[in-house]
Amino acid sequence: MRKDSHSNLILGLSCVVFALLVLFLWIPLDVETGFVEKVRRKYIIGDGMAPAVAAIFLLIGGLGLVIFERRNADQPAISKAALKFIGAALALLFVSFAIMRYTGPLAVSATNFLTNDVTEYRLLRDTVPWKYLGYALGGTILIAGLITMIEGKITRKGLIIAVLAVLVMILIYDLPFEDLLLPPNGDV
Amino acid sequence: MEVLDYIWLGVQAVFLGPEAFSVLGLPISITILMVLAGFLVGIMVGATPGLAGPVAMAISLPILISAFGYSEDALLPVLGFLIGVMKGATIGGAVPAILFNTPGTPDAYMTTLDGYPMTQRGQAKKALRIAHFSSASGDTFSDVVLIVCAPFLAIIVEAYLDLPEKTALFILSLSFIAAVIGGSPAKGLISTGLGLLAVYIGTGEDFYPRLSFGTEQLASGFPIASAVLGVLVIGAVFKGLEELWLEKRTSGNIAVVQDSGDQRLHVGDIKRLFPFIARSAFVGTAIGALPGIGSTLAATLGYTLGKSRHKKNKEDSDPNFGEGAPEGIAATEAANSSVSGANLIPVLSLGIPGNAAAVFLILAAESIGGFNPGPAVFKFTVDEVNPELVIVFGLFTTMFIANGLNWTIGGIFMRSMGIMIRIPKHILLPIVLLLALTAIYVQETNMAAIGFTLAFGVLGYFMRTLAISPLPFVIAFILGDKLEQSARQAFAATGGDPFFLFTSPVALVFMLLSVGVIIYATRKPKANS
Repeated sequence: MRKDSHSNLILGLSCVVFALLVLFLWIPLDVETGFVEKVRRKYIIGDGMAPAVAAIFLLIGGLGLVIFERRNADQPAISKAALKFIGAALALLFVSFAIMRYTGPLAVSATNFLTNDVTEYRLLRDTVPWKYLGYALGGTILIAGLITMIEGKITRKGLIIAVLAVLVMILIYDLPFEDLLLPPNGDV
Repeated sequence: MEVLDYIWLGVQAVFLGPEAFSVLGLPISITILMVLAGFLVGIMVGATPGLAGPVAMAISLPILISAFGYSEDALLPVLGFLIGVMKGATIGGAVPAILFNTPGTPDAYMTTLDGYPMTQRGQAKKALRIAHFSSASGDTFSDVVLIVCAPFLAIIVEAYLDLPEKTALFILSLSFIAAVIGGSPAKGLISTGLGLLAVYIGTGEDFYPRLSFGTEQLASGFPIASAVLGVLVIGAVFKGLEELWLEKRTSGNIAVVQDSGDQRLHVGDIKRLFPFIARSAFVGTAIGALPGIGSTLAATLGYTLGKSRHKKNKEDSDPNFGEGAPEGIAATEAANSSVSGANLIPVLSLGIPGNAAAVFLILAAESIGGFNPGPAVFKFTVDEVNPELVIVFGLFTTMFIANGLNWTIGGIFMRSMGIMIRIPKHILLPIVLLLALTAIYVQETNMAAIGFTLAFGVLGYFMRTLAISPLPFVIAFILGDKLEQSARQAFAATGGDPFFLFTSPVALVFMLLSVGVIIYATRKPKANS
């Protein structure tokens, strides 16, 4: 937290600009009915009114920051380190979920290649062991990856914890319930 | 149907509902079992730094819904579990605060000021007993106030507030929440505006889903669970991980102080602590009844009031507040625990959630169906049974069961939870992240929901980084649809009067208050700066 930070001013101006864009660009271009419309000779509130109210909240909040709170002493800002952290975390999550999504189908394709079979993953998505492949691998990478990110090094302990945690989650979410599908088996 | 009939039906719904098992031929209802399970989980979660009641509620909700389904019979077990978590987490938060100087929940921070010095003096068990007794007392008082006040408030709302007034009341609630949560009313308004904008994407009455950029993904809007869990839970996990990542610190060895001296809580102690507990219970209940203020402010106010009384009345040999005074623990714990029951007053009587725990209660009710918290549930119909009113009295019964558990086994279980502090946060948070995302997936069964949740998580992370409270966002997201429906009906009912929010005196007062509360709150930071 820096005392000379102008984050309130920047945030306030950003909100004002965003609110004006919502009011004068997004709502007119992406809402079919206006603020008020006439249906069967009666006026009713259109779909544009509620988002306009939301934009007015944003506009007043932004103006409040610019006018009343721009000189506040305590103005936390988004640091480069924070951006670096969230970028790295999101990259890791993206990779983990991509692995979670495609491991099962790839494993089935590989098996098909070896056995000259033509089975689809979709048909196997609720059968053992196929249904666990993606979740177990992707989930383990997600947990172990985040632990490694914080510790700054890959540890056996982190990996074991990740494997055990994923196993426990399978025990919690999958084994007791027939109607629950672990990711990504609900929409493959 | 008389009032007493409804109360009796509510009690019966809990005790004679679906049976879990029987002991010596005596059936044990599943609802009672779920309250017990929720209460124990709540204490564990509260005693774990980095976790809080809402995290446990978020993770358990899809499991509970899968286990109990969407029938009316599911409502009491699921809501009973969540109420148990809410109450357990409140007392659990005091454990690491007293034993390790680390508050398990934010509202337990003031407990560290006197609890940890008592531990250092070898009085840890006594400090935990004081925290438990005060917490249970404040909680019970708050529940009694809820049960007495909520029906009357709801009846008044139904009798005197028409559609324009209800619309104005929603606007007042949103303004009030924006103004009081966090230190900045402007940031509160931004958080509220973002929440409203998010809920209006992909919805509306026209065939074209508004603000959807013509895409399929946005055409159905954002799932409520994605928005709530993303901003509240995933955002908090990202922030916690970032702090650990920046500090690169690992948990060090915890110094163990041996207990010494008398650890029991005597009648004399209770007599001495009672004025502090009573005063804090009133403060916490009053604050809890107002949406959005929360238990941290209640704890701070309770502590401050207790401190001034202690200064006047204490003997020279007694420790001051902040140096290990039992009265400090009592004042804090009674205040923060008495918020939880009173927080349900706006939920049940107005349908307006006041804190994160209440948000999850509403989410559960909306997911299961058959129970819509708001003034309509308190219709004491005579000719036929109002099932929602039976559920309300069932909920009150579960709260008293949770209180009974708190008084009986809560203290013992709480004192055994010191071990939870030993779980390192950098291991816990990634596990919580995957648990929460899995919970979302099993509920929504599509990967897009995980994408939305992560996007809301990033939003929650940046909001926390910029000191914008995410709670107004979540409450606005939940109330946005009700606000729009109410405004549409009011506009139609008044024959398209554009000034429908200003024609009736009550609505006008609410609207003036909406503006007034923002102006009043805005003056404060200006004066400070």
